[in-house]
Amino acid sequence: MRLPLAIASFVVLIVHGVVFWNQFFHRWERHQTAYFEQARSLSKNDRERAELESRAPRIEQVVVTSFGDTHVDRCTTCHIAADDPRFAGFAEPLKSHPYSEAMGDVLRNGRWERRHKFADFGCTVCHDGQGRGLETVYSHGEDEFWPEPLLGYVTQANWRKDFSPKLKGKAYMEANCAQCHTEEDFPGTPHVNRGRKLFYAMNCYGCHKIDGMSEGTLGPDLTEAGKKFKVDYLWESIVEPRANLDTSFMPDFHLNQSDVESLVIFLKSRRGVNFAETSLDRYKAHVANVAVVIPPGTAGEKAGEQLLADRACTACHKLGDRDGGIAPDLSYEGLVRDNPWLSDHFQNPRSRIPDSIMPAFRFPAEDFQKISAYLGSLKTPPPPEDGHATYTALCARCHGEKGDGNGKVAWYLDPSPRDFTKTAFMTSKPRPRFVNSIQEGVGGTSMPPWKRILKDEQINGVLDYVMQTIVKEPVKEPRTRNLPDKNPVAASPESIAGGERVFLLRCTGCHGRKADGKGPNSLDILPHPRNLRNQWFVESVPDRRLFESIEYGVQGTAMPSWIDQVSQHDVGDVVNFIRSLQNARK
Amino acid sequence: MSTPTQVPDRTALTTLRELPSNVWNSIFRNPLPSTDLERSSTSFTNFFLHIHPVKVHKNTLRPVYTLGLGLISLFLFLILVVTGVLLMFYYVPSTTQAYDRMLDLRGTVAFGIFLRNMHRWSAHGMVAIVFLHMCRVFLTGAYKKPREFNWVLGVILLLVTLFLSFTGYLLPWDQLAFWAITVGTSIAGYAPLIGKQMQFVLLGDTTVGQEALLRFYVLHVAVLPALLVLLIAVHFWRIRKDGGLSRPEKAAAPAPEAGVVKLKKIYGLQGFVRGPFTKVGNVPDDSVYSWPNLLMAELFVFVLTVSLILVVSLAFNAPLEQPVNVMHPPNPAKAPWYFLGLQELVSYSAFWGGIGIPGLMVAMLFLAPYIDRTTHGVGRWFAKERLLANTIFLTLVILNVIFIIIGTFFRGPNWTFVSPF
Repeated sequence: MRLPLAIASFVVLIVHGVVFWNQFFHRWERHQTAYFEQARSLSKNDRERAELESRAPRIEQVVVTSFGDTHVDRCTTCHIAADDPRFAGFAEPLKSHPYSEAMGDVLRNGRWERRHKFADFGCTVCHDGQGRGLETVYSHGEDEFWPEPLLGYVTQANWRKDFSPKLKGKAYMEANCAQCHTEEDFPGTPHVNRGRKLFYAMNCYGCHKIDGMSEGTLGPDLTEAGKKFKVDYLWESIVEPRANLDTSFMPDFHLNQSDVESLVIFLKSRRGVNFAETSLDRYKAHVANVAVVIPPGTAGEKAGEQLLADRACTACHKLGDRDGGIAPDLSYEGLVRDNPWLSDHFQNPRSRIPDSIMPAFRFPAEDFQKISAYLGSLKTPPPPEDGHATYTALCARCHGEKGDGNGKVAWYLDPSPRDFTKTAFMTSKPRPRFVNSIQEGVGGTSMPPWKRILKDEQINGVLDYVMQTIVKEPVKEPRTRNLPDKNPVAASPESIAGGERVFLLRCTGCHGRKADGKGPNSLDILPHPRNLRNQWFVESVPDRRLFESIEYGVQGTAMPSWIDQVSQHDVGDVVNFIRSLQNARK
Repeated sequence: MSTPTQVPDRTALTTLRELPSNVWNSIFRNPLPSTDLERSSTSFTNFFLHIHPVKVHKNTLRPVYTLGLGLISLFLFLILVVTGVLLMFYYVPSTTQAYDRMLDLRGTVAFGIFLRNMHRWSAHGMVAIVFLHMCRVFLTGAYKKPREFNWVLGVILLLVTLFLSFTGYLLPWDQLAFWAITVGTSIAGYAPLIGKQMQFVLLGDTTVGQEALLRFYVLHVAVLPALLVLLIAVHFWRIRKDGGLSRPEKAAAPAPEAGVVKLKKIYGLQGFVRGPFTKVGNVPDDSVYSWPNLLMAELFVFVLTVSLILVVSLAFNAPLEQPVNVMHPPNPAKAPWYFLGLQELVSYSAFWGGIGIPGLMVAMLFLAPYIDRTTHGVGRWFAKERLLANTIFLTLVILNVIFIIIGTFFRGPNWTFVSPF
């Protein structure tokens, strides 16, 4: 037992030795000793030499309280010569921090005077990093767990190798300059300014919210993006949106590297309320910015085409060989939609398709007109004559190749495109209704009226294709139903109130208390219940169809038949109630 | 003083010369023992040594019997108390300061990172060793009569140890701590009836925040250690009163006739102790003197434990992840490793994993000595007579270990199965 005891005791002794050695011989002490020696040899007066002689290594620190949370910066423990201009030519860490007029430093009587004094600003306010650390790996933020590595100097080991080299460079420090220098054209932060312009020019504001700048709701709020995310994450999110989140539908904007860099630096500068701001400033900026109109794009002959490219429309839409894979094909849109529709839809997409996810972009009216004109002038090849080819060219993007309503962009459309494989629905409706939907489109949805470019025989051809190839079952001859063409109940306030009572009792489970189609059951139901506040849709539906849907249900959907539970008078009340919702909106 | 002339041979010089030895002898009333009497006396009269019996059975000193696990647990606890008190000088249980204090410990406080490493690894070590100690006691059948209640105390000690480690887990206030405690306390929330209330009392809030940090701190540095010290004291006291460590039947001293104490002799107070250990009269035994045999063994275990913890603390830094970010849960958020078996079970069924199975397990542990009333197979590892009990116990232990391993290494984002290789 004695030998192991001796060995174990020896181990205890050795470990103590190592720990004490580490404790009393720090790296920073060596740096400081070297500095004292060098400074002594550089010094020209005796008093300074004596002073240096008497200095012993110690932890230097600056406590900064003026910039947000308290910063405790011990950087000058190693970088002890940072404020000693004689050390300009030395190697790090004994190198003096450069002086520059661009930074506001002034040369007075042959001596530089800093604009940003270390005693006031510390180091991490501008550079990031971990001020409290005394070992390089921690203080520079090389440790993967530190959220703020030295901006533009340090890349962490777990960052993607293909991004890391792009994330170095002085430019990244502008993100911290912008914490105080918030002016939009501050000359010291060209990348931030450019990023801000890109944020508008590339339509980022349409989906993302940044307090005081934009109010998009489709994407994540970026107000504190710079605080939450490291630069590698920001870079990755822009160039490969799906790398972080499989379900992200952020388009790939195909930006060049310098644009991405500017955007990353701009986003890194978004850290909630900046140092220079008050909440009142933020509110004023909000008032000024959220209504701001993007400056008009190029004029001239090809303006429309150029605008379409500049405004990144094809990041979502399809036009020619460019396809964002999120929104409908624009090749025919200008030909099938009329001008008021296009104009309204541009100003605010939800004014025509109430559940559209397309953000309202703040382009000037003349840009909208130019784009509309360009779309209208497109010489898109005329759709093929044969039904199958027409279907593939015009319908498949939304309704899917197989007609199952699951086309490439269907996920992003609300209401969803009709699923033709639900035969119960397809065989229960008369042919004229389908012809009408194709000819006139479906109001308030992404289904456009095709009558302007499709001849009647083409419409019949594509319908035949759908019925024969996808539905494969003959249309059932509808039984004669006792349905009024016009709602027999007058739209009196009493009738509307009665309709509301019935609605709240019977319909809210699926259609929701607001009648917006988002009731508690709606998530599990496909196709989703109708949004009965969709003015364009409801107005395009005659009373007879509303009565039929309520009394006899809609086959192939979750809408049941109410004829046994609800009297025809009550149905009339409900119809009046639904109609009244549209009037209320006007 | 009043009559200095009565001791004429004592000069001031002699007084001075004898001062060191007088002081020494007043503290240590025995010389370094060289006879059996002195050995007994040393153990008996020293406050710190009198927790030992004067003589211990040889079986107690067999390393392969105890593996020193109980002692290692104690020494780890002592290391934890010492390093913990030192850490307390720097720690502030505040959500705004705790993490910065961790950074200061790592960077600027003398020996700070080393203390933290020692505390962290000793804590993990203690959880593991206490568990192994329990396994040892079960597998050698040492929980049987008359040691039933000491086994129950041991199970309570295990639970308190787990809870101590769990409360300490939150204190660094980094992402690892925050989400582990969030997961851990929500497991507690699955308990029927009182689950949510229990979680609320523990956290002082509906989520982990300042109140939870303060509560965990107080539990960690005051309430639980005090409880643990008390329970350890009772645990040790019971070892003595239950007749020392368990040992094989044939090695046990013949028990005096229970019930009737023959009035052959007037016993001192110490005689009124039942059981097989009181040496009254010349009973042949296999015992040896505690000094130096037991003390050397203890010293050996102590030095081994300390050296191991020191080496580990030198080689591996305690983890410190990014500061708490309530909006950014890591995926997956994992509880501390010793609860990962439970978390794995919770991923199948919240009730069974969170409460049902662990509750059953703890209940079985508590009741083990009262269910298993056979008296055979005590004092030997894997005794044949105890095949059934040992098999049940080992199965449960191995299952638990397997679940912990799956939870630790084989679970990735969204708790899906991943291969660590």
